[in-house]
Amino acid sequence: MTGILAAEWLKIRSVASTQHVVGAVIGAFVVGIVWVFYAGSVWDDATPERQAVFRAASPEEGFLPIVQVALGVLGVLAITSEYATGLIRATLVAVPRRPAVIAAKAAVVGAFSLAAGQGVVFASFFAGRLVAGDRTMGFNVAPVAGELPRLFASGLSVMVIALVGLGLGAAVRSTAGALVSVVALLFVLPPVTGLLPAPWNTWVSSVMLSNLVSQIAGEDMSFRLGDGALSPAGALVAMALYAAVPLAAGTLLIIKRDV
Amino acid sequence: MIEVHELSKRYGETVAVDALTFQVKPGHVTGFLGPNGAGKSTTMRAVLGLDAPTSGEALVNGMRYADIRHPMHQVGALLDAGAAHGGRSALNHLRCLALTNGIGSDRVAAVLEEVGLAGVARKPVGAFSLGMRQRLGIAAALLGDPGVLLFDEPVNGLDPDGIRWIRELMRRLAGEGRTVLLSSHLMSEMALTADHLVIIGRGRLIADTSVRALTDRYQRGVLVRSPRAAELTGLLERAGASVTAEPDGALSVKGMEVAAIGDLAARHGIPIHEATPRTASLEEAYMELTAGSLDYRAGVR
Repeated sequence: MTGILAAEWLKIRSVASTQHVVGAVIGAFVVGIVWVFYAGSVWDDATPERQAVFRAASPEEGFLPIVQVALGVLGVLAITSEYATGLIRATLVAVPRRPAVIAAKAAVVGAFSLAAGQGVVFASFFAGRLVAGDRTMGFNVAPVAGELPRLFASGLSVMVIALVGLGLGAAVRSTAGALVSVVALLFVLPPVTGLLPAPWNTWVSSVMLSNLVSQIAGEDMSFRLGDGALSPAGALVAMALYAAVPLAAGTLLIIKRDV
Repeated sequence: MIEVHELSKRYGETVAVDALTFQVKPGHVTGFLGPNGAGKSTTMRAVLGLDAPTSGEALVNGMRYADIRHPMHQVGALLDAGAAHGGRSALNHLRCLALTNGIGSDRVAAVLEEVGLAGVARKPVGAFSLGMRQRLGIAAALLGDPGVLLFDEPVNGLDPDGIRWIRELMRRLAGEGRTVLLSSHLMSEMALTADHLVIIGRGRLIADTSVRALTDRYQRGVLVRSPRAAELTGLLERAGASVTAEPDGALSVKGMEVAAIGDLAARHGIPIHEATPRTASLEEAYMELTAGSLDYRAGVR
C-alpha cells in the first residue's frame, strides 16, 4: 500500500494542474490580504460614528470559495485525467486491486487538500488580524479561541469538497461532468434551497455543504435562514457523509465496471 | 503461459468474444490476428483483468490476473500507446507505475535506456510522437522484467526503424523463454515476427497454428510455361500430377516438385520457359481464412 500511496503522491506532484491549484490557493490568500488593506484604508478615512458600525468580511471566509473550487478541481482531475488519457488502464494493470487505488487517491487528495485548506484559512485569518491591527473592522473583534471551530470547519470543508470531486469523478469518469456536479453542489443548489417556502428553506439549507461550516461552529447559517437544523456534531457527521457517499459510490462503480 | 478458456464477452446484444479457447506458450512469439473488431483487444483486456468476462476465464501463469500480487513482475502489457498523462514526464510516468510494484529507480532508468528514450526522459509525454509513445508503453511493459508479455498493436505509428526494433525485441524476449503475445491486424507483420498464430474473427477462433503449417496448407503448386504445353500436360498427368491450364496458357501443376517437373520435361526434350513454385503468401491465407468474418468491409460491386 505504501508503494501505491507513493505513486499517487508522485502523480499529483508531477502535473501542472496541481501547480495551478496551489497558485489559486496562494492567490486567494493574497487577495484576502489585499482586501484587508483596502478595508483598512476605508476604515481610516471613516468618521468615528462610521468606524463604530464598520463591518468588513473576513479574508479567510470571503475568498474560501476560490480555494474550495480549486481543490475540488484537483480531486476531480486526480481520477478523470486518468480516464481521459487512458492511463487508468495502465494503473489498474499495475494494481488490479481497484479499491486500493481509490483509497490511495483519497488519502493523497485528502491530505493535500486538508493541508491546503487549513493552511490558507489559518494564514489568512492571522495575517488579516495582523494587517487590521487595532482597527475594529467587524471580522477581527471576536476572541481567537472562539473563532477556532469555524476556522477548523472551513479548512475541513476544502478537503471534503476535494473528496466529493474525487468520488464524483470516479463515478462519472468525465472531467466536465464531475466539475459541473461539484460546482452545482457548492454554488447552485444552496441559493435555490434558500428559496423554498419556510420552514423547508431552513431544513434543506441545513444539509447544504456550504452551510455546514457555520453549523459546525454553532453559528446561524444566515440572517434570513437563522439557525440550522443540525447540531455541531450533526453537521460534522453530515460533512463526513458528503465525502463518504460519493467516494463509496465511485469505488463500487470502479469495481463493477470494465475499464 | 496464458490460458484462455471458453472466454465470452458480451456488450449488450453485441458478442465481442465468443467461447474463445487458446493457449500462449513460453519461448516463442505468438501472433494474435484478426480483422478490426474481431475481439483481440477485448480478449487482452480480459486476460489483464480490466474487462470481466461474461463467461469462461483467462489465466496467466495459472492465476486470475486480479489475484496476482505485484503483477508487473509477472506480466507486462502495452495496451494503447496514448495511455499517459501528456503533462507528465516519461520518467515520472514510469516511476508512478514502478512505485506501485516496488520497482526501483535504477530499473526505470534501465528500461528508458533500453527503449531509447533516456535522452528525452524528462520531457513531457505530450510532446512525444506516436512512435515515442509506443516505446514508452513498451518500457512500462518491461519495467518488472516479466515472463509474460502482451502487446496490442505495438507497431502502429512506428517508422521502419522502429518496426524492425520491435520485431527484434519480440524475438529476443521470446528467445529468453518468455511468453509473448503480439496482436496485429497485419499478417505481413506477423509473417516476419511470429512463430505461432492465433487467428480470430468475430470473436471466434479461426486458426491456432504454427506459421509453417499455415504456409504449407496454402501451397498452390507450381506455375509452368512451355511452348509445348499440351504435350507436357499429358506427361505430367501420367506421372501423377494434376494440371490445370491458366487463362494465359501457363500450367498450374499440383502434386509435383519443381525439380521433378524439370527432370521429366528434360527427359522428353520439352523446353521449359518458366517453373515457379507458388506459395500463397500468409497474407492471402489470412484473407481467405477471415473472409467470412469481416465486420467492416468496403462495398464490392
